[in-house]
Amino acid sequence: MTDTAIAAAALGKRFGRRGAWALRDCAFRLPAGRVCAVVGPNGAGKSTLLALAAGLLAQTEGTVTVLGTTPGRARARVGFVGQDKPLYPQLTVAQTLDMGADLNPGRWDQPTAERIVAGGSLNPRSRIRSLSGGQRTRVALALALGKRPELLLLDEPMADLDPLARHELMGVLMADAAEHGTTIVMSSHVVAELEDSCDHLLLVGDGRVRLAGDIDELLAAHTRVAVPADTDLAPHTVVESRTAGRQLSALIRPAGPLPGDWRAGGRLSLEELVLAHLRNPQAPALTPSGLEGKAA
Amino acid sequence: MTADRGLIRTVLRLHRTALVVWTVFVLAAVAGLVWLNTVTVDSVRAALDRCPDNAPGFCGALWASLDYSEPTGWISTLMLYSFWAVAAWAGGSLIGRELESGTAQLAWTQAVTPLRWLAVKLALPALLIVLGGAVFVPVYRWAWSANRDLMGDDWTFNDVFAAHGPAVVAYGLCALAVGTLAGLLLRRSLPALGVAVAVMVVLNQYLEIHRADFWPTKTAPGRKEMPNDWWQQGDGHYHPPSHFWPLHLVETGILLTVTAVATAAAFWLLHRRTTGLPAPHAQQARPRATV
Repeated sequence: MTDTAIAAAALGKRFGRRGAWALRDCAFRLPAGRVCAVVGPNGAGKSTLLALAAGLLAQTEGTVTVLGTTPGRARARVGFVGQDKPLYPQLTVAQTLDMGADLNPGRWDQPTAERIVAGGSLNPRSRIRSLSGGQRTRVALALALGKRPELLLLDEPMADLDPLARHELMGVLMADAAEHGTTIVMSSHVVAELEDSCDHLLLVGDGRVRLAGDIDELLAAHTRVAVPADTDLAPHTVVESRTAGRQLSALIRPAGPLPGDWRAGGRLSLEELVLAHLRNPQAPALTPSGLEGKAA
Repeated sequence: MTADRGLIRTVLRLHRTALVVWTVFVLAAVAGLVWLNTVTVDSVRAALDRCPDNAPGFCGALWASLDYSEPTGWISTLMLYSFWAVAAWAGGSLIGRELESGTAQLAWTQAVTPLRWLAVKLALPALLIVLGGAVFVPVYRWAWSANRDLMGDDWTFNDVFAAHGPAVVAYGLCALAVGTLAGLLLRRSLPALGVAVAVMVVLNQYLEIHRADFWPTKTAPGRKEMPNDWWQQGDGHYHPPSHFWPLHLVETGILLTVTAVATAAAFWLLHRRTTGLPAPHAQQARPRATV
C-alpha cells in the first residue's frame, strides 16, 4: 500500500518520431484516496495522461508511477473508462459483465457491477450495439467498478449522460470512493461538472501541467486584487491582470502578506481560477514542486 | 493460470462465430472426401462399367467421373486458399477492429497485459488451424491416392502439393501472423484486412512460381520421354516424385520462418507501444526541469 496514487516526473509523450508533444514536462503527485479533476481544453493532453497512467501507452520520456509501481504492474488494481467507452458490440450486457469476471479473477465484484447496470433498468440480455451512449457509459462504469479498483481513471465519463443519470452515477462513484477509499481521477473540459465532487485538481493546458494540488489550497494560494493602475505588483506572481481606466484588477499568487489597501475580491471560484490560467498561458505553473523534487 | 482461463473464455466468446465456421469448414471438407470415396466413387465406377468396351473415350461415363474429380479438386483448392480468409480475419476482425474501436484497450485495462492478450488471441486460432490440418491432411492423402485413375491431376498441382503435408497448415499460420502484424501496424480493420490478404497472395504466388527451385533437380540428358509423374523443368531437368518431401518441407520452412518473424514483430511492436522499451538509465541521464 502506498499513499501516492499517481506520481509523474518529467513525463512526456509524443506520437511518432517527429510528432508534436501531446504532453511534456509533466510533474505532479496525486495522494491516494482523493477525487481528482483533470481539466483543460480539448486536445490539452488529458486523455494522453490518463492512457499513460493506465498502462495503455508508453511514455516517450520521464516516469510515471501508479500505486507505487509501474502502470503495467498496477494494471490489476486500476480501472479505466476511455473517452469512447469502448465495449464489444456483439456481446450482451450480461456477457460483458461475465467478461469482467473472467478477466479479473479474484477481484471481481459481481453485485456491485449488477447494481450499477440495474440502476439504468437495462435488460442484461440486450446487445451492447443496441444501447444508447448513456447506457454504454453505465455498462463501462459497471465494468470498471466491478473490478474493485484502487485507482479509477475516467476520461470524460459524464459526457454522454443526461443530468439525472449523471447525478446518479456521480453519486455511485462518490459512494464507492467513500466506502473503499478508491482514488478517482476524472477528466472533463467542463469545470463546473467536477467542482462539487472533486477535492484535487490537475489543470492541463497545451500539453503541460499548469496547476496541481488540493483545490482548497490552490484557491487559498490565489487572490483577486484591485489596485491603482500604477501599482507595482512585485514580488507577487501575477496570473492575470487587466487595466480598466485607473484601476488594475489582477489575479495574483501572493508571495507574502498583501498591503492592507489592496482591495481583495470576493471568494474565488475554481472555474475563475482555471479560466484565468487558460487565458494566460505565460502564467507560471503552480505544482507542489517540493514533492516532485523528492519523487524524482 | 485462472487469469489465462478467463482470457481464453473471453476470446472464445468474442470470436465464436469465426471459430465455429472454421471447424464446420474442416469437418465438411473431411466428410466430403469420405463421401466421395465411399459413395460417389461406386456410382462412377458403375457408370464406367456400363461402357461397352470399358474404354471411356467417348463414353458418357467420362462425364460421370467428373462427379468425383471435380469436388475432390475443389476441396483441396478451398483448403489451400483458406489462408486468404484467415489473413482477412486476423487483420480485420481479430486485431484491426479491436484497435480501431478501442476495445483492445478495454481488455488491457482489465487484469490482462497486452502481451498475454495477444498471446491468447494468436494461440487459440493457431491451435484450431493445426488441429484442422491434422485432421484434413491424412484424410486428403488417403482420398487423393484412393482412385488415381479417376483423377487427372498429379502431385505438382498447387493445391495437391500443399494439401499433402504440413505446408497447408503453415499457410494458415503464416496468414494468421501476417494478419495480426498488419492489424497492429495499421490499427484499422479494413486496411489491415486488405494488406494482410495482399501480402499473403504475393507470398503464395512467389512460392508457387519458385517452388521447383528450392531443391536441386535431377538430370536425364537426351531423354525424350519422361514418366508422367516426373515434374519436368525443361532441358532434361526434372523432379522425381521422391522430391516431394524435400520440396514440401523447404516451402513449409519458409512459411514458418515468415510466421515466426511476423509474430515476433507483432509482440515487439505491442510491447514497445504499451510498455515502452524500459530504459531507466536514459531517463535519469536526461533530467528535465520540472515545471
